[in-house]
Amino acid sequence: MDTSAPSRRAVLRWGAGTAAALAAAPALTACGEAVGAARTTRQAPTRRGQKVKLVFWTWVPMQKTVDLWNRTHPDIQVEMQTIPANVQGGYQKMHSSLTAGNPPDLAQVEYHELPGFMLVNGLTNLSDYGADELRDSYVPWQWQQGVFDGKVYTVPQASGPMGLFYRRDLFAKWGIETPTTWAEFEQAARVVKARGNGARLCAFAPNQPTWFAAMCWQRGARWVRTEGDTWIADMDNDLSREVADYWERMVRDDLVFVEPDMSSAWYKHVQTGKIAAWVGPQWGDALLRGNAPGTAGKWRVALLPQWKAGQNASANWGGSSTAILQGTRHPREALRFAHWINTDRKAVDLNISVGYGWPAATGIFRGSALDKPDPFFGGQRYNDVFTVSDRTIDTSWKWSPTTDADFAQLQDAFGASIAGDGSLAGSLAIAQKRTVDNLLAKGLKARSAR
Amino acid sequence: MSTTTSRRTTSAPGGSRRSARPDRAAWGFLLPFVALFLFTFVLPLGYAVYQSLLTPVRSGPLGLGPATLGFAGLDNYALALQQSAFLESFARVLLFGLVQIPVMLLLSTALALALDTLSHRWAGILRAAYFLPYGVPGVIASILWGFLYVPGVSPIVDLLGKVGLAPDFLGYDNVLWSIANIVIWEFAGYNMLVIVAQLKAIPQELYEAARIDGASTWQTAVRIKLPLARPALVLTGVFSIIGTLQLFAEPLVIKPLTSTVTNSYTPNLSAYNEAFANNNIYLAAAESVILALVASVLSFGFLSLVNRKERRDAR
Amino acid sequence: MSVSTPPAEKPVPAASAHTSQTAGTRRDGRPRRGVKPSRILLVALLTIAALYFLLPVYWLVVASTKSSAGLFGTFGLWFSDPQWLDNLSKVFSYSDGIFWSWTFNSVLYAGVGGALATLLAGAAGYALAVYRFRGREAVFKAVLAGVLLPSTTLALPMYLLFSKAGLANTYWAVLIPSMVSPFGVYLCRIYAEAAVPAEMLEAARVDGAGEWRIFGTLVLRTMTPALVTVFLFQFVGIWNNYFLPLVMLSDDRKYPITLGLTTWQTAADRTPELYQLTVGGAFLSILPLAAAMLVLQRYWRSGLTQGSVKG
Repeated sequence: MDTSAPSRRAVLRWGAGTAAALAAAPALTACGEAVGAARTTRQAPTRRGQKVKLVFWTWVPMQKTVDLWNRTHPDIQVEMQTIPANVQGGYQKMHSSLTAGNPPDLAQVEYHELPGFMLVNGLTNLSDYGADELRDSYVPWQWQQGVFDGKVYTVPQASGPMGLFYRRDLFAKWGIETPTTWAEFEQAARVVKARGNGARLCAFAPNQPTWFAAMCWQRGARWVRTEGDTWIADMDNDLSREVADYWERMVRDDLVFVEPDMSSAWYKHVQTGKIAAWVGPQWGDALLRGNAPGTAGKWRVALLPQWKAGQNASANWGGSSTAILQGTRHPREALRFAHWINTDRKAVDLNISVGYGWPAATGIFRGSALDKPDPFFGGQRYNDVFTVSDRTIDTSWKWSPTTDADFAQLQDAFGASIAGDGSLAGSLAIAQKRTVDNLLAKGLKARSAR
Repeated sequence: MSTTTSRRTTSAPGGSRRSARPDRAAWGFLLPFVALFLFTFVLPLGYAVYQSLLTPVRSGPLGLGPATLGFAGLDNYALALQQSAFLESFARVLLFGLVQIPVMLLLSTALALALDTLSHRWAGILRAAYFLPYGVPGVIASILWGFLYVPGVSPIVDLLGKVGLAPDFLGYDNVLWSIANIVIWEFAGYNMLVIVAQLKAIPQELYEAARIDGASTWQTAVRIKLPLARPALVLTGVFSIIGTLQLFAEPLVIKPLTSTVTNSYTPNLSAYNEAFANNNIYLAAAESVILALVASVLSFGFLSLVNRKERRDAR
Repeated sequence: MSVSTPPAEKPVPAASAHTSQTAGTRRDGRPRRGVKPSRILLVALLTIAALYFLLPVYWLVVASTKSSAGLFGTFGLWFSDPQWLDNLSKVFSYSDGIFWSWTFNSVLYAGVGGALATLLAGAAGYALAVYRFRGREAVFKAVLAGVLLPSTTLALPMYLLFSKAGLANTYWAVLIPSMVSPFGVYLCRIYAEAAVPAEMLEAARVDGAGEWRIFGTLVLRTMTPALVTVFLFQFVGIWNNYFLPLVMLSDDRKYPITLGLTTWQTAADRTPELYQLTVGGAFLSILPLAAAMLVLQRYWRSGLTQGSVKG
């Protein structure tokens, strides 16, 4: 033993001492400091003829649209950078860049994330740059997603009205009528299980709380509301529990695969015809087309099954805006680009081809790339279905500013319940309690609905 | 921490080395390192402690207006410790370490001892094969194994399915051990090499003597080589403990493949998500400080345990 | 922590000289006998172990030759319609050749970071080994604490600090932390204590050489084996690091390969061709290090007795 080495106790004592000293040192001087984005938006003066460069983060492969802009707008060049979709890393990146003070000028942000971005002062107040004049170009409820305290904070991109994608060939083979109610849907699932040689009607994806929220949305539940300045979490209500129990039965009776959707395992099932349907959003068309080209011509789209025959209710899954993040030096140019990419007819057509969603721009549908028969869907004018779906969405649904964390916890609870620890309905109760905790931890006023 | 270094030289330079201004020269050599060490170890830790004592104070309608920072005392720590998911993440990595580290070290030791009895050429090729995964970054290894775990994509699941087994590598009860497998795959060969190196440092005469005494290969391995490889085992043990507490990349990469890996699966993952997904850097700072504390206690604790035993054995 | 030093490999010569006198034994000093069943069993087990370690790599080689459709549609352990060159050229050309940037960045971070870390650790270890000065114990204790503290617990606080300093999302954000290796200091101190003879230093001083000159010429040369070891550890540690760049960087042109490939992987559900690019990129990315592993094994073994670094 080398005696010159210090004893462990000495090291420990020294370590503890240092930690204590460090803890005491920074005497709380920064209290009162502003929270959130390290840099605030300011318009940089530009000389005539000077080129402006904008950086745009998105996970929708819109490069062709951006190329078109760059060709037609030589003075404002946009560089598109692909980021991981939503919570798979995209928002982490945005928040980290906001904190570090080097955010991109523009970024795709889903509607349910906008309140969370408000909490960190992460969005540019676009009313200062004339955004209010653009209001009439957009579907009102989508426009309202980005309005807080009367100010405009984002340009809506698209929403995700839901429908039922199904394999008509397989349905015909197994003698299944297109289900119009959830009861018929369950019946169809039983038939597929019996006749399908290992196939299932669809998958239940515990990793997709936004999908589950949409299911509850259709049922008529509202997960978040406000009273004065207080946020009220209401996931654990009768309507949502009914939805949870329905899928609980589907899972327990082995009528569905349980796997993350839009994952490699799920795509494999879709490609090989082991999955015959997907309760999905309009923007899912591009995913099916891109990932299962071998199934072209076999798919059709129908309206969402209803809880009561004759009802006509739909829901929205996803929906994004083109946000101009706090800290840009070119808010005017960024706003021009954001408005163009979401309303220009050619731009929208290019966006549609890569599945950017259901346009938030008004009056753009007729004559667009959406308004045609599609060979992938056997020549069906499938977007007529989504037109109906879009009209029957109750647009009063609200999002909490902690949606990311709330849904992460709901997702975790789903995972545990699938493994036998609790139920899907029980997960809602857990999520409701956690949501309140999350809101309180952020310094907001919050309570449970009951 | 102590070193069984050759003492022959340590006293010599210390005693006789009296240059004109030893302090100045020494600090000259140390300064670049010490400055960066302060900047990347001490300062961040202090800053984390500071941040962990803060919390945002909200204003405006629904609290969505501008916010300022206020003093939170130990609230963030209380909050972190109240979160069952955060506490569970510690339990999970402890369980993980208790199983994964012994299995890995057992495998490494067995491979090292076995290679030590093989002829040179074969040993060299096999050793290279075992060591290769160490050159594969953890995230890449996880992407690879991810493909080998996902049913429908994995040829392994395919093959096992053909013989009537249907392993669910990503299932709730299995996924932790599937992650353990990735870590073992990455580091077993590396740890083996540490042990091999230690065995090579043992004078050959010892083996010769054992052979003359009539010890079998097996007896030599267990009675002589194993005890002599002890320092290497301690070393690999310490680094495995530290590595386990840092577990991050593997669960992060596996997560999209299955619903069974949660957002706070490991303490690191929890702090990361708290900071960037949930955007609560103050709570995340508290979680980081707690993790650093636990990690230090565990690695120091393991060392003192081992060394106390060593002293007792020596007595 | 008990570590045996000096690390210099004591190779077989002593033993082989010894065994050459003993008839009926092999070069490695073990008796040559008939092939025993236990030996066959041993070789069989070792071969199975080799299969375990090589299987994922083999899978990767096969997968890198397939199209995205083939990746999901065909049996994973055999080739089907190989289009290797086509795949790999796509990896390099995708998104204006961003894979080149990632490769360059990885080499930069690991190469420059590793080299500077080695130099700093060498100087610090040497100082701790040969000088007696005030504060020596404190520095050494701090180094030990640094060894035992998991580096990722510091990444998040470091990010907050670097953000304040305007260093986040710069090359420095990854380079600076990579330049600090407490374990390297620890190794270098042990090695210098054992390998730098006091007489050599004295003689140099008598010749009128300054402290820096002695270090720059004599000491660095004497410490080369330890420095090589530290460099290799640090290089692999940085190359394999994921958490630090993930936290620090938001501009994908500054990413190292590890971070870049996971970006592709997570974006693959929207852009299916990225599955193939991820696999192809993974294949390319392990080539240089795998080659280095095999070539540098000797150094590893000689240095490894002194310890290990995990990413």
